[in-house]
Amino acid sequence: MAKIRLQIITPQKPVLDKEVDFVVLPASKGELGILPGHTEYIATLKYGVLRYKIGEETQTFAVLGGIAEIANNNVSVFAEGAVLQDEIDEETARQQLEKAKSARLQNDKAIDLEQADQEIKEALLLLKVKKLQSGKLKNKKK
Amino acid sequence: MESLRDIKQQIKAINSTKQMMLTMKMVSSARIRSAQQTMLNGRPFAQKMASLIDNLRKDIQDGENPFRQNKYYRYFDNSLGDKNKVGLILITGDKGLCGAFNAVTLREALRWIRENKDKEKYVFIIGKKGADFVRRIKMPNLHIVCELINIFPHISYVHASLIKEKLEQCTLEENLSKVDLIYNNFKSVASQELVNKTFLPFDFDEIEGEDDLQNFIFEPGIMEVLITLLPRYIGANIYRFLLESQAAELAARMNAMESAANNAQEIADNLSVKLNKVRQEGITNEINEIVGGANALNN
Repeated sequence: MAKIRLQIITPQKPVLDKEVDFVVLPASKGELGILPGHTEYIATLKYGVLRYKIGEETQTFAVLGGIAEIANNNVSVFAEGAVLQDEIDEETARQQLEKAKSARLQNDKAIDLEQADQEIKEALLLLKVKKLQSGKLKNKKK
Repeated sequence: MESLRDIKQQIKAINSTKQMMLTMKMVSSARIRSAQQTMLNGRPFAQKMASLIDNLRKDIQDGENPFRQNKYYRYFDNSLGDKNKVGLILITGDKGLCGAFNAVTLREALRWIRENKDKEKYVFIIGKKGADFVRRIKMPNLHIVCELINIFPHISYVHASLIKEKLEQCTLEENLSKVDLIYNNFKSVASQELVNKTFLPFDFDEIEGEDDLQNFIFEPGIMEVLITLLPRYIGANIYRFLLESQAAELAARMNAMESAANNAQEIADNLSVKLNKVRQEGITNEINEIVGGANALNN
């Protein structure tokens, strides 16, 4: 079966370059599932969850907004940040959330508020993705 | 005449200075490697963004496109904005001891300021040397919008996005007609290139777009895609300039330190020749005295 080449690129570095079977992108108007042979497409991404499948194995990324280009079985995701689920540190994310929240209460300059909001959004997303993982682990145990 | 001890002391001092310079050179050359790597890592992102934007630009430039009303349209059209207001992004180093690196950059900045002396100038400064320099210039129409100091050598995308936000805000509020950029491009370890160019509005002649987006479906729409793209493109570019400048600074320091170390070696060599001469002179004198003494006894 045809495969999709999935690339995730952030300003810092290319994060991922893999042949996969199926990708779900967090597009701005809802999730977007992509199988091989998808039409040429450009979509904006919101803060959300990106999943891909190779065989039976599923991997999950937290994606911090950006843009995705789909052409000729190539999916290129350009995101400001992308973190693999396994690499998320729950404690750090929680601390970031607390810090951003208190910063939000103390500041009243628009630009600082915006930044704090962004950080809150980011931390929440990271926590959410992490939670997905632990939920899944629990299910397996049962 | 200098005594033997003086010369010995001098040689010792120069050798320890040389050692320090060699160490600094080693530190710089180790850092260059990682800086180069980060630079290469960041390249695909900026390149792809550029070619996407270039393609989309063709769609919006003809006819009455609603994008023309958007705040980002100013980045495409250089006839917009207040011609009497210009911006400058100046990237220098934080520290000295890197040859002419900072001096050349600042000279170019000064030239830019003279060139635009009648206009309102808004300056974004990165690097301590630049900040110190611009702060000393007293001009009523020279405004420092932001200064970031001591961010090298640990720059990250956060710094770039901070500058990007300030830049966007200032361009809109002050209605700048263009934003120039002065920084050092990293060509190779041996050479850096000082660049003075216009950053905004974009110059699309330098962008090479390869793919054709004719058949693409856009979600939610071309305009939204562009609006998402542009700030990220600007951020990615600023990030790239910071990395380039960092690598260039390290390369400059490495070269400066190397030639300084060579110089120190030369001085040390000359001094040791002098030392030997002085020593020889002393010995000859002593022999003369002994021979003279012996002759006097014989007579």
